[in-house]
Amino acid sequence: MNGQYASLLIALPLLSAFFVPLIKGLGERGIKYYLAVITALQTGIAAWVFQQVYSTGKPIIVMAGGWKPPVGINLYIGHFAALFVLIVAVVSFFTAVFSIWSMKVQPIDKYAMLFLLLMLGATGMIATGDIFNLFVFMEITAISAYALTAYNKTGEAAEASLKYMILGGIGSSFFLIGVALIYGSLGTLNMAQIAQLAGNMNPTVAQVGLALIVFGLAVEAELFPLNAWAPDAYQAAPHAITVMFSAFVVKAGLYATARLLYLMQAVGSWHDVLKLLVAMATLTVVVAEFAALRQKDVKRMIAYSSISQVGMIAFALALGSQAGVDAGVFHMVNHAVVKALLFLGVGYVGIKLGGTAMENFQGLGKRMPLTAFALTIGSLAAVGIPLFNIFWSKVRILIAGVEAGYTWGVALILGASVVEAVYYLRFIHAMWFAGEGERMREGLAISLILLLLAALVIVIGIYPDYIWSLAQKAGSDIFNVGQYIKNVPLMEVGA
Amino acid sequence: MISVYYFGAISLILIGLYAVLVKKNVLKMLIGLSIMETGVNLLLVSIGYISGRSAPILSEGIGPNQAVDPIPQALVLTAIVIGVATTAMALSVAIILYGKYGTLNVEEIRRLRG
Repeated sequence: MNGQYASLLIALPLLSAFFVPLIKGLGERGIKYYLAVITALQTGIAAWVFQQVYSTGKPIIVMAGGWKPPVGINLYIGHFAALFVLIVAVVSFFTAVFSIWSMKVQPIDKYAMLFLLLMLGATGMIATGDIFNLFVFMEITAISAYALTAYNKTGEAAEASLKYMILGGIGSSFFLIGVALIYGSLGTLNMAQIAQLAGNMNPTVAQVGLALIVFGLAVEAELFPLNAWAPDAYQAAPHAITVMFSAFVVKAGLYATARLLYLMQAVGSWHDVLKLLVAMATLTVVVAEFAALRQKDVKRMIAYSSISQVGMIAFALALGSQAGVDAGVFHMVNHAVVKALLFLGVGYVGIKLGGTAMENFQGLGKRMPLTAFALTIGSLAAVGIPLFNIFWSKVRILIAGVEAGYTWGVALILGASVVEAVYYLRFIHAMWFAGEGERMREGLAISLILLLLAALVIVIGIYPDYIWSLAQKAGSDIFNVGQYIKNVPLMEVGA
Repeated sequence: MISVYYFGAISLILIGLYAVLVKKNVLKMLIGLSIMETGVNLLLVSIGYISGRSAPILSEGIGPNQAVDPIPQALVLTAIVIGVATTAMALSVAIILYGKYGTLNVEEIRRLRG
């Protein structure tokens, strides 16, 4: 089959989002099932693209309208994008299934549209090969995320959404200034061509431009000091949406940061920008872990934990070495699995028992043993205990950090991990050894998803080699910019 | 001559940023955001400006060599549309906020803490 069909990854969610008002007559259940079917289709397409890219070893370049880049906008679905588009689709499918049962707040048709647009935005951010197109997809993601954060229509939700919007607005303006500086000096917006010409750029302009872009993306990538919105939004958003935020929206931001950083490798002042990102990432880890320690709401606690893990990924990506990027990508995959598991489990309990405060989780082992079991696996993995998946990526990140000469950063992250162990063990203790309760019935579909994710955590923990080899391929897709330039068939444009 | 536009753009961005960071009223913060966006748009357009040339619309007597760079203008059009969407979204959230809290002062809108 022709690789150009990969453009369906963008077209399908966009068209289906527009069709939602037409099927409104099907009623609430109909729309929810429609959502599940579309995300299942998207998963199918993403799986096909994944299989194509990994079996041929060549990226799929989709050229919009048949125009060759840099005149036309192209999508670049390489090893990284193929892997993450699949993760986006799978997580969306799980969340859509979870939504069938969990979403009660009306209007459900608006929810379905925003859900699809959020998935579209993240997919586009990961797949695009044009820096302004990246900005547009980032805004699609951001605006649907603002709306979904406020979806519950409570005061808290509106407050969280407004915080997110103000930070997001500042971030997108910074990003756009960075794009303007790059376009002003290189005269192109195509990522491959930017990488080709980056060496000619004035180092100071490049440094300012890149730093502005890193700051702009730091809002989506939840890096300190621009992540103040994240815990609020995670807490106030509908449970299903929190899963998506943590599992892939933040990953799209991280990926965009890493991609743009490594594209500009040839710039003289490149290492200064890396140092800025390392500092931001380390601070993110430390601040988030200590904030997590004093939370009384489990969803908020896990949100802080998610932010600290994200800081760790950013740390790995900012090391500027192949080993660091590989480890970062590996951690991204593991984090997506573990946080999808934790947020789904917590959301399920939150709906079933009417809240996500720590008291509700006391005696969960007696009331909902399957969910409690899955949450325990997720918590143990998040702490980084050997034989669970995050252990392997954490170790690789720390080794890469020491190799790159950031021993202080590694020491701080290790210290913060101890804090993480404290609050997760407290959480496990509350579930199994405190409180009493009656056994409750647990839903079949949600239990299956939770157990599947928990099994994935353990399987990756015991046999990490397969995912690690995928992560290495995806990592070199980001790191090896020479290959990236060669893969995009750039048209010669007369000046 | 062109530096005037850059100067203007940067000042607009800084004024907007000041309003967002310092003002306490949600509406004033949103106005600040809009000012900032305008500054960024002006910066983009002035990057593509070539002194003495006309708008990049293909018409009689205006070929590629008589027009300014069209790409930044396309970018600005997109950015303006995105800005409108964000502002509309933010204002509708501000309406909900006012309904729930009875105030638009950000120092009093603080239920999410911890």
